[in-house]
Amino acid sequence: MPASRILRWLAPLALILLATLPLAAREASVYFTVEKDGALITGLTKKNFHLYEDGELRPFRLAQPEKPASVAVLVEYSRLSWFYFSDIVDAMDGFFQKAPEGNWYALATFDKDLHIRVDFTKLRGKITSSFNDLSMPEWSEVNTYDAVYEMLDRMNQLPGRRVLIVIGSGADTFSKVSLKDVKRKAEQANVTIYGVGAGSMLRGMYDAYLSEAERMDLLQSEAFLRMLADKTGGEAWFPRFEGAFLDVMEGVMQSLAYQYRLVYDSRIPNDGKFHKIRLEAFRVVNDRREDFKTRIREGWRS
Amino acid sequence: MNRRLPRSIQWAAHLDFRGLTALIVTCLMISYPSATWADQVTGPPKPPLAREVFQPLKESLQLSYLELFNQAATLEFSPPQIELMRKYLKEARGYCTKQWNQKIDAYERDLYTAQAELKQRTANLSRDERKQFHCRIQNLRIQKGDAEMLVRQAIPIAYENRLAKLDVIEKWPAEKQKIEEEKRSGVYRQRRYGDVEDIGFRDVGRGQEKDIKVGRETVRQMKLAGLMPREVKNEAVQRYVTKLERKIAAHSDLRVPVQVTVLDSKEINAFALPGGFVFVQRGLLEAVEDESQLAGVLAHETAHAAARHGHRLMKRATIASVIYQAAEIGAMVLTGGVASIGAYYALQYGFYGLGMVLSLQMLGVSRECELEADQLGIQYAWNAGYDPTGFIRFFDKMATREGYVQGLSWFRTHPPFYQRMVDAEREISFLPKKENLVRQTPAFEQMKKELAKVTAQAKEDEQGRPSLLAPEQGCPAPPKVGFKPGERRIETVCPLPEY
Repeated sequence: MPASRILRWLAPLALILLATLPLAAREASVYFTVEKDGALITGLTKKNFHLYEDGELRPFRLAQPEKPASVAVLVEYSRLSWFYFSDIVDAMDGFFQKAPEGNWYALATFDKDLHIRVDFTKLRGKITSSFNDLSMPEWSEVNTYDAVYEMLDRMNQLPGRRVLIVIGSGADTFSKVSLKDVKRKAEQANVTIYGVGAGSMLRGMYDAYLSEAERMDLLQSEAFLRMLADKTGGEAWFPRFEGAFLDVMEGVMQSLAYQYRLVYDSRIPNDGKFHKIRLEAFRVVNDRREDFKTRIREGWRS
Repeated sequence: MNRRLPRSIQWAAHLDFRGLTALIVTCLMISYPSATWADQVTGPPKPPLAREVFQPLKESLQLSYLELFNQAATLEFSPPQIELMRKYLKEARGYCTKQWNQKIDAYERDLYTAQAELKQRTANLSRDERKQFHCRIQNLRIQKGDAEMLVRQAIPIAYENRLAKLDVIEKWPAEKQKIEEEKRSGVYRQRRYGDVEDIGFRDVGRGQEKDIKVGRETVRQMKLAGLMPREVKNEAVQRYVTKLERKIAAHSDLRVPVQVTVLDSKEINAFALPGGFVFVQRGLLEAVEDESQLAGVLAHETAHAAARHGHRLMKRATIASVIYQAAEIGAMVLTGGVASIGAYYALQYGFYGLGMVLSLQMLGVSRECELEADQLGIQYAWNAGYDPTGFIRFFDKMATREGYVQGLSWFRTHPPFYQRMVDAEREISFLPKKENLVRQTPAFEQMKKELAKVTAQAKEDEQGRPSLLAPEQGCPAPPKVGFKPGERRIETVCPLPEY
């Protein structure tokens, strides 16, 4: 058999092999919280966890969370947001009151486009004052998908611990990227996302007057924020009364304060597919296993 | 009648008086030049004087204020020559501003075109083509930011400084004579705060103790608002500055205890809140060259607190209303990149830092108060045993070599440079002679060594600062503006015809 014919057979085989071979292990760092009946559980050690990647038990270690964290706040700020603007203001007020010192904070807003208002600073007061100084929004679009996508893209370049707090309705008008694109981006980027829904109170008040289609749209908006949180190990809230925003922001900050960090050698292949991770948290007391709920990213997309 | 008029202007026959007036007004409005006077400067101004006069006069404007005070009497320029030079400098400022405003417009147009083109072609661009677009846009933003910084900051300061020095050349000899006469006749003792031997026993600001509460509340609110930079974590630096400020306060009219804090911020600034709360920013400690310069600035701030300028100006204001909302860093600074002049100013001097957060009222900054604080500050520095020219030398350094005076609380309002410098020199002339005035101390040099560690740490922290605005990597650097205050003259960016 001539050498060229052998090569013709071997080349595709080699390509298939290369594509399916697992990459050299890369160190992955995952943040998560452990809960029981809504309360955060702290003080657990390595022996309280089992980590599975694609169903396989993986060795890992618990590490100190990276400090300081880079926390970016992404705020919906368009003419459309004017209907529930008080929610956004309350959320920002809550952030201002509850954000602890020591982290890097940044502020971005979006309407038709994404606007970076304050790059990372340790003077968190700048975030609030910059937000208070915003002029009237010009556009009625809320291109949430575009904004979240771009923020994830930018934040994924950063070193250390990355957190994105999205304050908005979750609705989208004319984004260039699709929901699927954002979902993939959230799966790829190692950024924990917290969603703070705006407009839920208004929605509750006028629910009876909404058509089925409108109700469906609003549900989809909520679902978008929930999806982001679930994919990345964060959490989404939809406060239905004014005073709740402060508690929500406290919840975000507490969650950040009590997150565990887990480091392991990820062996997922570079196949562009989604690979699930699962974390079991438990405690054995008097030979009885007590299981906890973990809030951890759903997996990785390579 | 309609038959006699060409068809195209037959409508004019129907115009009544009101219509005609409206037409004339419209035509006038269209033809009226909308540009400012500065924009109407047509070409670069030519040297208005003969070379033998122009060159030396131009060189004299490069001297420091102190050198000029000493040499002004020996400089032989006639009033018409000085007047021609003044006109020339004003024209040069207008011309330079116009040139760079035109460049800003051009950059803006190019930026718009590039962004529009990118938007149109975005779906079909290869990776390399996209990168080229990004680099082009990034560089245009840097260039636009540089040009804006020149127009807003560098050009006005450079020319204001020269005009002030021209005033010194013209007016100082006569002023000096007047001062000598006042000294001979003893009239100088009757000036306001002329009783310098009684510093500490005279009434400069009655009721200083009432300010303590206001000051404390302001500090609390600033901390609460997350607007106060962290303190410098170096005991030696904190101790040195506290000791120096306490020494000055002890030789001043301030009768409340001072509380000194050194803030870890690169802003070249110091400020005193009512009630003796003095804040010194790291940038100031880095910028001063000797202890007398630092003493001059601290004494100036102490004077604001002693004379209760804050109280005087904010009688009807609430504390909440006088803490400014922090001004936001302009896009030009954010995108400028480290090499640009915009970033140079922003990083070097911490624009939009605390200097922009605090209200002028709270700091007691107004034209009148500023001149008063200059006078009292010079007295306090002198009384504490420091060379009072330190204040002038530092002002000179900031204005001439750094090209920066706006944005600092102690320079922020604008009594003209000339007036401040001349008033300061006059006050120094009136002070009784003292032997062994201190200019430099080993403690200052030791503090500088400690400060170098703090600065190095701060730089390291800054390098680790994450950014959402990470620039596109691997782009060719844009053409540099070629002007750096202190290193090159403003003519490098605005060439003017020579002989």
